[in-house]
Amino acid sequence: MEMLKHPVSGCITIIVATFALFAANTAQAERFELGASAQNADAVIGCLYPMTGRSATYGRDSISGIKIALQDLEAEAKSGLDVPNLRVIADDPRSKASYAVRLAQDFITNDNAKFFCGIVSSGVAHAVSDLAKNEKIIMVGTDHASSRLSIEAGHDYYFRVTNDSWTSMAAGARYLRDLQKETGWKRLAFVGPDYDYGHVSWTDLQLALDELGVEYETVGDLWPKLYEPDYSIYINALQSAKADVVVTALWGGDFIAFIKQAASTRFFETTRLANFDTGANYDVMMALGDQPYPGLILSARHHNNWPDTGRNKRFVKQFHDMTGRYPTYAAEGAYTGIIAIARAIEKAGGVDDDRALIAALEGLQLALPEDPPGFASYIDPETHQIVQAQAVGTVVHNEDFPPSKLMVGNWAIYDAEDLKPSKEMVKRRRDAVAGGSEAVPPPTP
Amino acid sequence: MTSLLAVLIDGSIYASWLFLVAAGLTVIYGVMRILNMAHGSFYAIGAYSAASLVGWYFNNGMGPAWVSYLLLVGAALVAGLIVGVIVERGLLRLMYGRDEILMVIITYALLLILEDGMKIVWGVSPYFAYQPYSELGRTSLGLLKVSNYDVALVGVSALLGLGLWAWLERTNQGKVLRAVIHDREIAVAMGVNVKLMFTITFVLGTTLGALAGALTAPAISVVPGIGIEVIVLAFAVVVIGGLGSIGGAAVGALLVGLSRAAAVHYAPEFELFVIYGVMSLVLAFRPEGLFGRTLARKI
Repeated sequence: MEMLKHPVSGCITIIVATFALFAANTAQAERFELGASAQNADAVIGCLYPMTGRSATYGRDSISGIKIALQDLEAEAKSGLDVPNLRVIADDPRSKASYAVRLAQDFITNDNAKFFCGIVSSGVAHAVSDLAKNEKIIMVGTDHASSRLSIEAGHDYYFRVTNDSWTSMAAGARYLRDLQKETGWKRLAFVGPDYDYGHVSWTDLQLALDELGVEYETVGDLWPKLYEPDYSIYINALQSAKADVVVTALWGGDFIAFIKQAASTRFFETTRLANFDTGANYDVMMALGDQPYPGLILSARHHNNWPDTGRNKRFVKQFHDMTGRYPTYAAEGAYTGIIAIARAIEKAGGVDDDRALIAALEGLQLALPEDPPGFASYIDPETHQIVQAQAVGTVVHNEDFPPSKLMVGNWAIYDAEDLKPSKEMVKRRRDAVAGGSEAVPPPTP
Repeated sequence: MTSLLAVLIDGSIYASWLFLVAAGLTVIYGVMRILNMAHGSFYAIGAYSAASLVGWYFNNGMGPAWVSYLLLVGAALVAGLIVGVIVERGLLRLMYGRDEILMVIITYALLLILEDGMKIVWGVSPYFAYQPYSELGRTSLGLLKVSNYDVALVGVSALLGLGLWAWLERTNQGKVLRAVIHDREIAVAMGVNVKLMFTITFVLGTTLGALAGALTAPAISVVPGIGIEVIVLAFAVVVIGGLGSIGGAAVGALLVGLSRAAAVHYAPEFELFVIYGVMSLVLAFRPEGLFGRTLARKI
């Protein structure tokens, strides 16, 4: 009745409400069902990837990576090999641990899932990993990277198939050691997102530098919240601290925003900025435009232009042919996850015996797009973390992967075996948790 | 010493931004008694409009850099005006006279709707419009280099605060507005068009919010969710200063800005804590805020 007294206002209200309803419908998340039908599947894999929001690119690329893996498996089946018929269901956990656990439970109850895969956020992955342990479902992590998941919180049912924060920081520590010999840098600062992944990355870096005997002075560690839009105060603090090298664990849009904001200051004139885990991701390369900021040191869990092998070129081409664009590292992670599960089922002779599947995954060798010539990745039986080489480099002009005008080059390659956490370190970190401490405190340099 | 100077500079810059955001919120509450949760969305709409317009301007090589500053302000004024009129005429006018809590719920619903609406219009990828920021260059203050854009932001914020104060205290329209604040019924009886005053106030508030977003856009990445983050901080500022007080918002912004800057430089682990720590401390001793007045309430 109120509206009848104010016809103009009433009309505006109705228009706005209609728009809101439209918005609610189009914003609905999508569930993907890929591969075999429920009746024909040898195994069902329930994957959790973001399909909406700021990390949606990683979710979309992961789905494409899964499709490529299923295509490869289908081609093997057609050639007469005995490969399992996989059904993959993917849903969006909306970056919420409670919602992710609910979806994962539904995967078991409604879809009869025998495996979990995916997850971008380390915090969400912790929650689903706990569920996997309780429900005795094998979880294959493809994207989140906190090494706490495979070391302190590792368990029989949890596996991870791309470089974690330890691997990346171990490679980064070696790069920094070599850089120190060249430049004599001393003052180190860290800026990372204020959640598990950021803090674990900083601890990993300090432990790795300590193991190598690198001498340095920590002049600051800063913790902006995830998705912080304004880094100016942190950039000013880093400049005031006169850091020679700043290592960051900011990722995706946050890392891009940090670079863009730092570039509008004199940050890059005095300071090197290193991101060893996610910095060379293709979305970052695109966002850099044609500006190879001096002092950027980057790596990622997969590169489109390294290694220069037929396998990597083929994977990148398959992705490009499928989507019309080039992949972020998320695609290769998801691809690896599905291939790893398929190989484990082959090796175990089915999905009914979870202990046989775990045994099959432990030590499993996989020839992957990111493996350099002469090396095949394998899953460490001790930590269930994949063991892989890592390449770190600087930004160079390269227009082979448009629309990006820059890629990483000037590679420094670090052997996979060197990047594995030592047995002593793994024991120390696990013992610290068993003794009631949340994690091993970082060394004081 | 350098560190202390850095804290003062960073704190002042952050405070000026906070004041820009909080001013619109406190003006709307002061006059209309609406705790406008959707204020963060107006900030975000201003930021997105400005970033899109400035991005388009530079990507198409349109001309001199100074035009981009006009585009920032122009985008904010147009966005604030349009959204303000639509929301006030289309939604809030139907609800005047209702309980303050209901208005909070309504504006919260509006915040959620606008957040999703912005995702549909602008997507989820970040927008960058750094040219106006970098074009102004930097100034040396001792050993520190300070962005001239940030310095200008402090000036704009101070001018805006003075302008608002002068408008409320030194103009006839301001006097009428204060009469409405003091006693709405008497103001109506004296022939004041209260509905028009409400429209003017709300549009002024939304425009201030949009202007804050537009002026901040060159210094940040414009991403989904910035409106929600801002509204929480803006509430902390106006609660510290006292709801409805322009001077209180300025002091609240300074307290929060300096505390946060000190935390980032000296104790980064406490960065988030100090903002709400200061708020809790103020409310423990002055529940009505530093400049708020205790009002009698009819029950």
